[in-house]
Amino acid sequence: MTIRFYNYVLSGNCYKFRLLASLLAVEYESVAVDFHPGVEHRSEKYLRLNPAGTLPILQADGRVFTETQAMLVWLASKHDKSGAWWPEKNSDAIVQVMQWLGFAARLSATVGELRLHSMLNKDIDAAAAKAGAIKALRELEAHLVQQQIRGEQWLGANSPTVADIACFPYTALSPDAGIEHDAFPAIRQWLYAVRSLDGFVTMPGIHELHEQRDEQSPAAETKTS
Amino acid sequence: MTTTPVALARDLPVQRVMRAQVDGCDLAIWRGISGQVQAWENRCPHRGMRLSYGFVRQDSLACAYHGWHYNCEAVCHYIPAHPELQPPASIKPVTYSVVEHQGVLWVNTRNEAEVPEFPEDSIGIRSITFDCPLSVAFEACLAAQLSDEAGLSLSPRQLGDAPLILSFGNQQQADSVLLLFQPSDLANVVIHVLAHHSYSVDGRIGISQWCESVRRQAELNHEVAMNAGMECTHE
Ligand code: FES
Repeated sequence: MTIRFYNYVLSGNCYKFRLLASLLAVEYESVAVDFHPGVEHRSEKYLRLNPAGTLPILQADGRVFTETQAMLVWLASKHDKSGAWWPEKNSDAIVQVMQWLGFAARLSATVGELRLHSMLNKDIDAAAAKAGAIKALRELEAHLVQQQIRGEQWLGANSPTVADIACFPYTALSPDAGIEHDAFPAIRQWLYAVRSLDGFVTMPGIHELHEQRDEQSPAAETKTS
Repeated sequence: MTTTPVALARDLPVQRVMRAQVDGCDLAIWRGISGQVQAWENRCPHRGMRLSYGFVRQDSLACAYHGWHYNCEAVCHYIPAHPELQPPASIKPVTYSVVEHQGVLWVNTRNEAEVPEFPEDSIGIRSITFDCPLSVAFEACLAAQLSDEAGLSLSPRQLGDAPLILSFGNQQQADSVLLLFQPSDLANVVIHVLAHHSYSVDGRIGISQWCESVRRQAELNHEVAMNAGMECTHE
């Protein structure tokens, strides 16, 4: 059964799906939507699929999904045999995961909106979005500090879950919205841990780890030249 | 010029780079694979890119822009666009004195870094940034109530004058909690928070939450003062 994913490359929400699909090695058919400048997601063709007029959209199992967090749960529950990414058997872990899935929506509403304002001039109350973004990032930092103190490095469990993937993009992209990571050391460690995962993929604004890339060392290049 | 704390050592693992500010001076601080820490002016000698955007490969810091590599001696030893070239020795980032001591990184931008005496046996809790001037943050910390794990109140005393260190203690436990102040610029302060190693996990989490309460108070005090100041200028 084909999985069809309606995608916009610069969207942090679309990236959540692409990232988890890559981490779980799930193949899917990708349909590029001209979000900007075409506003294709608001065309009648797309509104019929998703009346909310948002991206991404997922068609799978004969259904249409329009909520990113639900898509992540769908991916993990259908395609992760380890059961670690959506730990439904562990009730302590699953409520933590729900907590941070909910929080991810706040990151989109603050950091995500502020980023659209900076990059595409979206008309919003930028000062309010910035205050909300800093508040959200401070909460995330505080939680990750507590996890560090407990000897944990992930948001909801002792291994990465859909919650980490849901919160990762807009946290990592906050410099696009004018908020650097300098004031958030625990967030920096966590971002690094996510970027170190096997199967990690990038998007514009989120790079791979150069230091782990298997590139010719400078010494080797000098020798071959 | 004094020696200033810039980070908890554990927040800069090997092969990482971070940015810090000391009295308005912008720094790239990085740790090579051998574990040694460097503190440089945050400016690539090539075209001025921030070095803190770069990445660490082995014992070199590579600039994100054109990939020039600088080693621990701050010598540029590799230019990707001209791999056969031996770069001139004059290409050097500006370096500062940095020491790692008791889990904290200390920098001096003028002289040799000299770590002030402060109690041992403490471990890092977190580094937290307050969006307010140093004096406001310091006063809020002095005024804040803090108790030890048994619920006995701790009182602050200042260790040395600058860099500012506040130590909270009582008769049961001197130097229970240490606050190291890093005035990063006029509008922000980073506070590096340490606690005596005997604190339990819950106790350490409590200290982390206490820091957030103090920050809320400090930033509120600052806002009130700013608004009062604005009213004065309007009159
Ligand atoms: S600006 Fe750093 S290598 Fe060119």
